[in-house]
Amino acid sequence: MSSTVGIELEEQYHDVEQQREAAKLGMWTFLLTELLLFSGLFVTALVLRVMHPDSVTAVALHLKFWIGATNTAILIVSSFIMSVAIELSRLGRQRPMAWCMLGTAAFGVLFLMLKGYEYYRDYVEHMTPFLSFRRYELVGDPASRLFTNLYFITTGLHAVHLIIGITLMLVMAWLASREGFLQKHQNRIEITGLYWHFIDLIWMIVFPTLYLLNR
Amino acid sequence: MSDAALRDPRIPAPVIDRPEDYLHVEQTLSSWFFTTDHKRIGILYLVSITGFFVIGAIAAGIVRLALVVPDGSILSNEVYNRMFTLHGVIMVWFFLVPSIPNTLGNFLLPLMIGAKDLAFPKINLLSWYVFVTASLFTLFVLLWGGVDTGWTFYTPLSTQYANGYVIAAVLGIIVVGYSSILTGLNFIVTVHKMRAPGMTWFRMPLFVWSLYATSLILVLATPVLTIALVLVFVDRAFGLGVFNPEQGGDPVLFQHLFWFYSHPVVYVMVLPGMGVMSELVTAYAYKKIFGYKFIAFSSLAIAVIGFFVWGHHMFYNGITQYSALTFSLMSFIVAVPSAIKVYNWAATIHKGQIRLDTPMLYAMGWIGLFVIGGVTGLMLASTALDGHVHDTYFVVAHFHYIMVGATVVAFLGGIHYWWPKMTGRLYSEPWGRVSALLMFIGFNMTFFPQYILGYMGMPRRYAVYPESYQVLNVLSSAGATILAAAYLFPMIYLVWSLWYGEKAGDNPWHAKGLEWTTTSPPPKHNFRKMPIVDFDPYDYSNEPPEE
Ligand SMILES: [Cu+2]
Repeated sequence: MSSTVGIELEEQYHDVEQQREAAKLGMWTFLLTELLLFSGLFVTALVLRVMHPDSVTAVALHLKFWIGATNTAILIVSSFIMSVAIELSRLGRQRPMAWCMLGTAAFGVLFLMLKGYEYYRDYVEHMTPFLSFRRYELVGDPASRLFTNLYFITTGLHAVHLIIGITLMLVMAWLASREGFLQKHQNRIEITGLYWHFIDLIWMIVFPTLYLLNR
Repeated sequence: MSDAALRDPRIPAPVIDRPEDYLHVEQTLSSWFFTTDHKRIGILYLVSITGFFVIGAIAAGIVRLALVVPDGSILSNEVYNRMFTLHGVIMVWFFLVPSIPNTLGNFLLPLMIGAKDLAFPKINLLSWYVFVTASLFTLFVLLWGGVDTGWTFYTPLSTQYANGYVIAAVLGIIVVGYSSILTGLNFIVTVHKMRAPGMTWFRMPLFVWSLYATSLILVLATPVLTIALVLVFVDRAFGLGVFNPEQGGDPVLFQHLFWFYSHPVVYVMVLPGMGVMSELVTAYAYKKIFGYKFIAFSSLAIAVIGFFVWGHHMFYNGITQYSALTFSLMSFIVAVPSAIKVYNWAATIHKGQIRLDTPMLYAMGWIGLFVIGGVTGLMLASTALDGHVHDTYFVVAHFHYIMVGATVVAFLGGIHYWWPKMTGRLYSEPWGRVSALLMFIGFNMTFFPQYILGYMGMPRRYAVYPESYQVLNVLSSAGATILAAAYLFPMIYLVWSLWYGEKAGDNPWHAKGLEWTTTSPPPKHNFRKMPIVDFDPYDYSNEPPEE
């Protein structure tokens, strides 16, 4: 079994174990910077809530709670499928692994479609204060516009990350369609998996911060 | 694996007694622009940041020239504002932040811990490309469009009122942040995972400890600046108004986010300088360093405590007196580890075999400038005194003593010290000493008058000032010309030495440390065989060096 799974040694490392550990630590460090990137937005959301509790609550009540909740469930399922893909990659089962990654990507796309529908509903309900040509119809208080804008920035930034994640999934699945991929690059699946789990984790913070906490 | 095992036995062994060094192994232009060798990337960084230093220095020269006369007749207010913004932005993000970590750090980190390269050589090259692209873009924006907000981009000035290309400049700085993040990440992983056998944490040179602490700050603080600037970007571009009070936003929130990055980033500039100091002081006192663990842990302490002092920039900007007091206290506490380092260096020099060569002259100057800058920093951290001097030239003088006095002096000292390792050549010692002395004189003449001006009440960032301040301003501008000469000389004689300098040999200073055990310049993978470390750092026998 072990002969079908492995890593190609790069010249700066002494052995494969060192390379594996370096890649993992590198990804974790990068994810830490991503967490801090989002935390700036979370802090801003909390500041707005403390400064203007009424208008923030009014906006939060207009966010589509059920779409957000369904999307949370979708991401949990996608992460679960990704875990299966990682397990399969360790066993050297390249084809089923690639299918699992396509499944993960499909759930990611489903999330984006629902998110797009949610944005569409927001548009219909005149909840897009950043569009200067369109009337804004929630509470007149300017702070409610701010929180709505912040909702778009935060979910938008998360969506960008998800799109990158889906692209990574598709590229990896395509690379894995060739024979012998896992013999050389099993590591990449682990690293991609870390990133995917992390995007899900961010959503687990975005959802309560925007939708739940302020209801 | 030995060298012989790697060679094809049918090809006769080459007749060289040394492996080709990293400078000569390949000579084409593309071998430089697509290199993944950390040493070459260090050189690429060195060349690019020197370019930005020159541009930033010219902008500073123009500002000083304008301040020779009190009536602002040399530059219009608008051009003056754009000039000091250009100077600040270029110097902070395109020179000081990458200065020591990306040049000396890039070059030395793998050599000092016995690795073949950084953990991610391609990411290292990527970070250089990100840096160059973003910095050239920002430079273009600052020169052609102009920005007049100062390097701090305070809201609502930057979002509502400022003219000029704020959006584009902010974008450039957001992108260049990713070059910092990639470098920090690379260094952290390298220190954790790439150390040679026997290179335990407490055998690492103190320069490596300081780079590690610096990388932690880069990785933790930069994303917060990124998101703060993203919010400025969308605020100005789409009127989203997070920082606009008219729309219910909070302009002070920007200051919190900005200084949460920008205070720690002061330590990004200073910590590597402190690391260089530890190396210089031991090598030129020819003595084991005093208090190794204290210095190592004080670097980490500075990195951690540095995250909890940002409010000292905002004592009078809408924080409560209780948080002002807390931030003041924390700022006093963060000075303790810095003081510990200074005491340890002094103890190292005490009864050492001191050689007053160029790097040591820089090091001695460093201690003087850093102590002045640090003590005036404590004055600024006291809430009552800050009420008198905040937003005056006192602040300007203080942070120049830290950011120029400490960072640039250590950078120059380090460049001289490791020049033979990097290039295989010796620089001219007399010229080096003259420049180091000129630097100290010129620096103090430029910036000490600014302490007095600030204490007398001259506010910063104005092109026009009362006539009573003119004498000290002229003195400061005169000092700046000496300082300019002190920067120009090394550029000339160091470049000259590349062709005409004496061959250095592997270890011209008889210094200890893994980087001096390999050839100068080192081969592509640094060591001919993997080093096994069985000695402590700074293993000086306290005997005079055999000359
Ligand atoms: Cu500060």
